[in-house]
Amino acid sequence: MQDISPEIEEYLETLYRFEEKGKKARTGEIAAILHVAPASVSEMLRKLSAMGLIHYEPYKEVVLTKKGKEIGASIVRKHRVIERVLRLLGLRRHVAHEEACRLEHATSAKVEKAFVSALSSPARPELLGKNILRLTELREGEVGRIAFIMAGKHATQRLTDMGLTPGTKVKILHILPMGGALGLEARGCKLAVGRGVASKIFVEAIR
Amino acid sequence: MKNRRISIALAGNANVGKSVLFNALTGMHQHIGNWPGKTVEKAEGTFFFAGYTVDVIDLPGIYSLSTYSIEEEISRRYIALEKPDVVVNVVDATALERNLFFTIQLLELNTPMVVALNQIDAAEKKGIKIDAKKLSKILGVPVVPTVATKGTGLAELVSAVIGVASGGEQRRLKPKYSKNIEVLLKKLERALSSSCVNYPKRWMAIKLLEGDENITREADRNVAHEAALCRTELHKLYGKPPSLVISSERYDIVSRIVKDVMKETAYKPTLVYYLEEITTHKIMGYVVMIAVLLIMFFTIFSFGDFVSHQLDALFEGNKALVEALFGENILSELVFSAVEGFVAGITVALPYIVPFYVMLSLMEDSGYLSRIAFLMDSLMHRIGLHGKAIIPLILGYGCNVPACLGCRIMERVREKTISAFLTTLVPCAARTVIILGLVGAFVGLQWALALYLFNLLVIFTLGKILDSIIPGEPVGLIIEMHSFRKPSITVALKMAWFRVREFIYIAFPLIIATSVFVKMMELTGALSALSTLMTPITVDWLGLPAATAVILVFGVLRKELALVLLAALVGTTDFGAVLSPLQMVVLTLVLMFYIPCIATIAALVRELGWWKALAITVFEIIFAVLLGGIAARLLAATVF
Repeated sequence: MQDISPEIEEYLETLYRFEEKGKKARTGEIAAILHVAPASVSEMLRKLSAMGLIHYEPYKEVVLTKKGKEIGASIVRKHRVIERVLRLLGLRRHVAHEEACRLEHATSAKVEKAFVSALSSPARPELLGKNILRLTELREGEVGRIAFIMAGKHATQRLTDMGLTPGTKVKILHILPMGGALGLEARGCKLAVGRGVASKIFVEAIR
Repeated sequence: MKNRRISIALAGNANVGKSVLFNALTGMHQHIGNWPGKTVEKAEGTFFFAGYTVDVIDLPGIYSLSTYSIEEEISRRYIALEKPDVVVNVVDATALERNLFFTIQLLELNTPMVVALNQIDAAEKKGIKIDAKKLSKILGVPVVPTVATKGTGLAELVSAVIGVASGGEQRRLKPKYSKNIEVLLKKLERALSSSCVNYPKRWMAIKLLEGDENITREADRNVAHEAALCRTELHKLYGKPPSLVISSERYDIVSRIVKDVMKETAYKPTLVYYLEEITTHKIMGYVVMIAVLLIMFFTIFSFGDFVSHQLDALFEGNKALVEALFGENILSELVFSAVEGFVAGITVALPYIVPFYVMLSLMEDSGYLSRIAFLMDSLMHRIGLHGKAIIPLILGYGCNVPACLGCRIMERVREKTISAFLTTLVPCAARTVIILGLVGAFVGLQWALALYLFNLLVIFTLGKILDSIIPGEPVGLIIEMHSFRKPSITVALKMAWFRVREFIYIAFPLIIATSVFVKMMELTGALSALSTLMTPITVDWLGLPAATAVILVFGVLRKELALVLLAALVGTTDFGAVLSPLQMVVLTLVLMFYIPCIATIAALVRELGWWKALAITVFEIIFAVLLGGIAARLLAATVF
């Protein structure tokens, strides 16, 4: 296996975030996020394509391969775990984010697991070792149990008022195309939740 | 028996049949107004039962007693501070769990209570059986099964209410949280004991622990400080925000109760089930929606058009009447302009507003509105709004007035402001007349179409800009899609009538005053002076004939008359002979973005208050004129 440099990881992370939001990644946008020149983005994308991490043709959208997606997802996950740890330690949000951007590349799976268990205990031992997804990652007909919500104050308030509290079982009834809203069923009620809000609800998938 | 007066408040989630119950109880003895200083409707009524005079107030439909929306704040202040004798908590039996979440919060407010277990028939159809007696025992308050739409159980409900009002102490359930939370609550209650508060101390302690902004502001400084410490402790203990912890536990309490009193059995999917599936389907949903909206649009406007013409004919000849009364002089001219303004209000605005209100109410009541919001969310999200905003925007193409008033369906002020503003930019029927009659007829249909597309572009751009400059957290779509049900025509008609009356109070004085004012300007020759005065704008900046100033002024009053007026001013209906294509495009562009009309401004005042209405009006005038001038130069240099 080729060596995956932090730079490559950073690209895969960015691409994964695009896919997560259901947006198409374009060279210009990637360049803006990573603060590099568009030309070097194109060069890197060709390299990633050669490594079998993405499907890439010039002027078309970039799609992650299965392998690329796995690496991207793991980096994003590490980033989020680290960011949460740093936030708990009292660092401000943007500082935590920037530090996490650096630390994510140097964090092994072992350390990540340790972080997760530290985070979960004593507050949430129930999350240890569980497969936590965004609600938007479930498919129609699938059921998840809400693990935690990372939305703004008002949105969280509204979600809990409508019965979407941690521990609640949620069934995905409908997913509308093109970043549309989700139709959910929870506590015997049907709810409509926008894609943006739904992506801030984290669930444990119940298959 | 002595005649006694008691006051009750109906409280509960939205769409549980509260207004139907209110209507069934009070009949015609009711008054719908607004909460002082708020754009939230307040319905009050009275009825008589067994020697009692009962005053009823229908509180807004809400999901919680937090401060997510103005409605929630209003409700909790009313219950806690006005202290009605009994609160009737209307509960939707088909969604017991979510509804009881609110019931628990009412219990925390420590108010005498009766639960109306409404739509018990619909619940049974869904295979849900609820043991009302057991529920009553657990909650410690009477629970009466009702079907408000059929009047079932109302007598029992009222008897229970009177029983509670005249009886002694209720032994209501006191919701208990886990030990960690209770310790903190006790601490806060102690801290509160020295200060004088309007709310029950335990409830206040809970709200402080949740971090409720308004309650924290009302508390003493040292109490607020203590609360902050407690919150930090709770956050550390559970690793999530205190408000989330408390809501979760509240739902735990509810789940246990529901498990005890409710039994669900399998049921055959009904017609309603299939309707719900189709209307939210990723393809069929949109097909149905477009059909429904088109039907609604055409019903409103063909009805409006028909009635408008009938009324026009009815009011014809009132000029002769005025002249007969006052003689042919300046006074009669002025009186006639006032009459004309009044008639215009009746014939132009009302025929469209009334059917709109009825339809909106029916759609809201039946549950279809929430499906449209669901379907349109991703599009509306791009301009900082959520799905519900599509309704006012679409209606704007007919008439901006009901569209602006329709913006009240947005829950939060931020969303309401953005949608009302964007709505006023939508070219209404009157502006369509100008676009098609001037540009479409004399410059070409492709230009008319281009103007429409440009209009959409401007709406999207301004929406995006507003979204980024208006402070506040944009909250995405989070709404209930309650089961379809037959809406109540009576309630819809009544609501329409009250809303229309409210509109008349606001808009008519403005319309009449402006009509008289413009007439006075015309009679005193101020209008031609104004044309001269406005030449720097009309002639120099926009490149239009000086006479168009009159159209801009009159346009504020009635846009659909702009063309008639233009014909009178230039002495011909062949506008091609007097205006160049460029001038037509520029004039239409200005009229399109320029403030809609005085009635729309009145609607803006009604929904957003004077300050915001004024700001929008001034902005749109400046924006339209600036845009017109720029377009004149750009188009002159390129196309024309």
